[in-house]
Amino acid sequence: MSSELAVRAEGIAKSFRLFSHPRDRLKQIFAGSRRKYYQEFWALNDVSFEVARGETVGIIGRNGSGKSTLLQIVCGTLKPSAGRVETHGRIAAMLELGAGFSPEFSGRENIFLNGYIVGLTQQQIEARYDAICAFADIGEFIEQPIKTYSTGMAVRLAFAVMAHVDADILVIDEALAVGDARFVQKCMRFLREFKERGTLLFVSHDTTAVANLCDRCVWLDGGRLKASGPAKHVCDMYLENLFESVQGASRVAAPAAEPVAALTSAAPPRDQRLDILQASPHRNDVEIFEFHREAASFGKRGARILDVRFEHPHGERLAWAVGGETVVVAIDIEALEPLASPIVGFLVRDRLGQNVFGDNTYLTSQSSPLPLAQGDAASARFEFDLPLLPPGDYSIAVAVADGRQDDHVQHEWIHDALTFRVETSSVRHSLVGLPMRGIRFDRATGASAVTRAPGLADTTR
Amino acid sequence: MNATSMPKQPLAVFASFWSHRTLILNLARRDVVGRYSGSMLGLLWSFFNPLLMLGVYTFVFGLVFKTRWNPGGSDNMLEFAVVLFSGLLVFGIFSENINRAPGLMLQNPGFVKRVVFPLEGLPWVVMCSSLFHAAISLVVLAAVMLVVMGSLPATWPLILVVLLPLLLFVIGFSWALAAFGVYLRDLQQTINIATAVMMFMSPIFYPATAVPKEYRWAIDWNPMTFFVEQARQVLVWGHLPDFAGLAGMTVGGFVVAWLGLAFFQHARDGFADVI
Repeated sequence: MSSELAVRAEGIAKSFRLFSHPRDRLKQIFAGSRRKYYQEFWALNDVSFEVARGETVGIIGRNGSGKSTLLQIVCGTLKPSAGRVETHGRIAAMLELGAGFSPEFSGRENIFLNGYIVGLTQQQIEARYDAICAFADIGEFIEQPIKTYSTGMAVRLAFAVMAHVDADILVIDEALAVGDARFVQKCMRFLREFKERGTLLFVSHDTTAVANLCDRCVWLDGGRLKASGPAKHVCDMYLENLFESVQGASRVAAPAAEPVAALTSAAPPRDQRLDILQASPHRNDVEIFEFHREAASFGKRGARILDVRFEHPHGERLAWAVGGETVVVAIDIEALEPLASPIVGFLVRDRLGQNVFGDNTYLTSQSSPLPLAQGDAASARFEFDLPLLPPGDYSIAVAVADGRQDDHVQHEWIHDALTFRVETSSVRHSLVGLPMRGIRFDRATGASAVTRAPGLADTTR
Repeated sequence: MNATSMPKQPLAVFASFWSHRTLILNLARRDVVGRYSGSMLGLLWSFFNPLLMLGVYTFVFGLVFKTRWNPGGSDNMLEFAVVLFSGLLVFGIFSENINRAPGLMLQNPGFVKRVVFPLEGLPWVVMCSSLFHAAISLVVLAAVMLVVMGSLPATWPLILVVLLPLLLFVIGFSWALAAFGVYLRDLQQTINIATAVMMFMSPIFYPATAVPKEYRWAIDWNPMTFFVEQARQVLVWGHLPDFAGLAGMTVGGFVVAWLGLAFFQHARDGFADVI
């Protein structure tokens, strides 16, 4: 039954006619099929795939592999030269920055315009208008023409509109790369929530994002379908292929700063390379931003989070930290009603909204809870060695609850209470880098020396 | 589901308006308001414009040239202005739509390339906008005639019957020109000249009877001749229009509209490749 399918593409091909001169286009109109005045460029060739209702499918591929063309065909803005596409349900797309916006119209007018385009009635758009404005969060600019917007603002508005049109199928074309950390977090939260009820087509060359968000993945290479299958699997194949084709460069780019010589383990639980790393350009610098009290939050509001900050173990507030060093995450709270056994916790998320690490006070205070009367203030301090983090924007969600780990009342949860940015890192291909106690890499003493097979090079990532 | 399906039934001409009426009317409103955006008087300009033109015509033709429409007719110096104005009003609907049609797709690349947009509605937007301006002109004309002549001919409401076939012709040509304009960018210039020629080759500034018999073909080929004359019959002279002619034109206009839409829908698949 076709209604189980959201998208069905069969043998899609798309060729563009490249004319060397505009007058050739006219000649072609009169020449018909007798002569060719153009060169053909096949952006897509025989691509077939299906997306089931409710599925999240990623499309990966290098620049120029035909990803965007494919999406445009799925959305119906481009006609395939051959093959056919069937879609079932309302599609909302974010193909290009500020797509579908008229620069002369104000943000408000564009919201309505886009609503009409997808088929909403005026009443339906009016009902959603406030939610869209709140999501876009661009304030007074909503009454200004779009042409006065920054790229970031246009993307926020576009995403906000798209998120509120009750689409059955969402199509997103790496538009999320713009926008600041807080907004990207908001978008990722929305996408994760949307996944539960709708069909999502997600294009990116960020394989981490695809592997993390998508069930299945389609890999395009030179306009052809190279592979499709479980996201994780296809992403791995794609990365392997990518590394192979840039092998030379990849060797040079490998962290040369890491000494090949053996590192012996020592008593302190400290990465022995830290001294070298901290003196190298790979030092894991972390820029910390201010606590954002007004960030999106929820909860019963029986308690209030007063402050969240990074501290040096000695107590000074930090605006800058370095991965691998000891830091303290301090959270100040105030009880607005009596709390029997409060728990305070935090969760560090990367730019994709993946939970990287976090902890809470539950186990610590389990045996001896810290009951708070109304108006009491308390402070939780988490002291730990900051892991080495890959470059990117991170945010910390902070929460205060009352009860037990598995049964509690959430009093206040602030999604992006604090953000920080990692500028440089020796870590590239994993969520975190662990402080290694020791790494050995010796020449075998036996007859034959160990040679690294080229295929094994990837295991180091 | 498929917005680009060929209009198999003639009713697609009306469906193209009806199914997107909210969008079309809103864009038309924006088009009307946007024309005067930033000006202090705003919408009032669309009212002053025809009023001022009517005043200028009266001064130039009635007072300076002392032109009279019918030799030996009334001596009212406003008469020529009223006759001229009613002809221009009808021609204005035609020229505004036709002149803007070739650039419609080119000026809205976002609608063509980036979203699934009911492109066939864009000529309707221009149509609604031009009808708004025509309506204002009609109000001005009615007011002036009431003041000067004391009454309106009873045939006034019949202007709607005259305009219906014209609108069908115009929307049909708009669709065809909008589609052609994408591939042939010279069309815009050509059309501007063509409408200017058509304006003088129709009896707007002179009565058709003033044209020597042997040159009548020069204005008779022009469909606007028919519409301008018919509009004047009902608006100024108080005569019944040529109902048989109008019926024929309605059928013809409907066929043109249908063909225009069919051509537009056929050609639109290639728009995104070219723009």
